[in-house]
Amino acid sequence: MERMGLGLFDDVVAAHHPEIYRYLRRLTSRASEADDLAQETFLRAYRAWQGLGPEANVRAWLFAIATNLARNHFRAESRRRRAYGAVGERRAEADPAGPEEEQVFRETRALLDRVVAGLPMKQRLAFTLRKVHDLDYEAIGESLECSPESARAHVFQALKKIRVSLNGHELLSMEPTR
Amino acid sequence: MTPKHPSCRALEADLVATATGEAATDAARRVDDHARSCASCRHELGRYRAIDAVARGLRHDAPPVADVAASHSGLQARLADLKSRVLTYGIVPSPLGNILVARSEQGVSLVEYLGEATSLAASRLRELADVETVESSAEIARLRDDLLDFLAGRRRALGWRLDLRLAGSDFSRAVLSEASGIPFGAVTSYAAIARRVGRPDAVRAVAQALRRNPLPIVVPCHRVVGSSGMLTGYAGDRLGLKRQLLDVEGVRTRPASRDFRVAREAMYVRAGDDRAYCLPTCGDLPSHSLANLTLIASRESVEALGLEPCSDCRPDLHPLAG
Repeated sequence: MERMGLGLFDDVVAAHHPEIYRYLRRLTSRASEADDLAQETFLRAYRAWQGLGPEANVRAWLFAIATNLARNHFRAESRRRRAYGAVGERRAEADPAGPEEEQVFRETRALLDRVVAGLPMKQRLAFTLRKVHDLDYEAIGESLECSPESARAHVFQALKKIRVSLNGHELLSMEPTR
Repeated sequence: MTPKHPSCRALEADLVATATGEAATDAARRVDDHARSCASCRHELGRYRAIDAVARGLRHDAPPVADVAASHSGLQARLADLKSRVLTYGIVPSPLGNILVARSEQGVSLVEYLGEATSLAASRLRELADVETVESSAEIARLRDDLLDFLAGRRRALGWRLDLRLAGSDFSRAVLSEASGIPFGAVTSYAAIARRVGRPDAVRAVAQALRRNPLPIVVPCHRVVGSSGMLTGYAGDRLGLKRQLLDVEGVRTRPASRDFRVAREAMYVRAGDDRAYCLPTCGDLPSHSLANLTLIASRESVEALGLEPCSDCRPDLHPLAG
C-alpha cells in the first residue's frame, strides 16, 4: 500500500503540537492539564483525520478541537475551582532593555493575564485565539461554535473589559522593538 | 472614565476596531476625524492601541521548551498505541454481497462478508476488544476498486500489504501465509497445506484456520478444497461464494452429493513442487489424491507459474477434456 493516508498525521503533530500546547498552557493553571488536553486534542484529531477534506484548514480545525476540550474541561472543573491562569509562573522571552521598563512590563503582563483569566469563558477564548494566536474570526467562530460576527463581538467585549480593568495603569508595549 | 457623549458611544466599536487595526477604511477615517476634535476619544484610541500592543506581546510568551518536549513525547507514545488499535473500514457492495474491508496502519486486516447487511453492527469488528473503528469510504476507495476489479476478473492479484493480527494464532498465520502462495487459477487441498506448514496430521486444524480466515479473497482460501476435490466449506456456510470466486479464476465446479466438486478433468495438474505440469490423465502422476497435487485451471495460469509441459503426457499438445 503506497499511502495509508495516516502517515501524514505525524507531520500534523510536528507542525502544530507546540502551538496547541502553548494555547492550552495559557488557558490552564497546571502544566499537567495542558499536557492532557493537548494529547487528547491530537488523539481525537487522529481519529477524525481521515474524514477531513483536502481543503480543510488543519490549524483552525485543531484549535477548534482543543477549544472544545478545554471548555468541557473547565465546565467539569468549575465546581471545584476557577481555572485562573498560573500567572506567576509565566516568563517572557522578549524582555525589554532597561530594569525600570522591565518592571512595568512584568506588572503589565501579570495584570493583563489576571484580567484575561477572569473574563467570561467565550470572551477569554476568543481574545486568546485572536490576539495570541492570530486566528481569523471565521476560525474563531468555528472553535466557539458561533458566527464570525459573534466571535468578533466576543473579542470586542473582552477588549472593553480589559480597558476598564487596566484604567489608570501605565501601559508599555511588549512588542519587541524593531 | 467619564460618561461618554452619545456620538462617542456610537463610535466605540469602530474606535476599538481602528485601534486594533481591524476597521474598514471608512470607519477608520471617521474615527480619526472624530478623534481630532474629541480629546476623550483620542485618549481612548491611545489606550486601546496600547492594550492591543500589550496583548499582542503575549505571542512571545512561550512555555518552557522542556515542557513542550515532554508533552510531545507523551503524545507520541499515546498516538503509537492508538495507531495500533485503530481500524479504518468501508463497506463495499459487490457481486458477492456487501463486503467490509478494514485496514490498520500496517495493512489490510479484515475482509468480511456481510451479505445483505450494510453496517458495522453485522461485523465481527464489534466484538473485538481493544479495537477502535473509524468509517472512511474515501480511505477504502482504492481497496474497493482493486477488489471489484479482482471480482470482475480484471486483475489476477490484489497485492495488498496485510496485517495478520486478527488471525488469532501463529499456526493460523502460518496456514494463511501458505494459502497466500496458491496462485490465481490454481486449487490445492487442506492436506497439502497441512503438509507444507509441517503439520501433516493437522488437516482439520488447517480447515478451521481457513474457515476463520480474516482476509478471504485476499488470502485465497477459496483455492483450498478437500483431497477428493470436494469444495467442503467456505467462510462458514458460504459455499456459493467459493464457487463464484473459483469461477472468476476459470475453475469450474460440478454438483456432487450435497456439495460441489472441482472439475478436475478440465484442469492441469502439478505434483508437489515439480517444475512440470501434466494432463489430469497422465500416468506419471503419483496418486489421485489432492494431498500432493495442485490443479491449475488454464494454460495462462500454468505459464504464469513458468512450468514446463510434462514430456510423457505433453499437455502443450493435447487439449484438456471438458
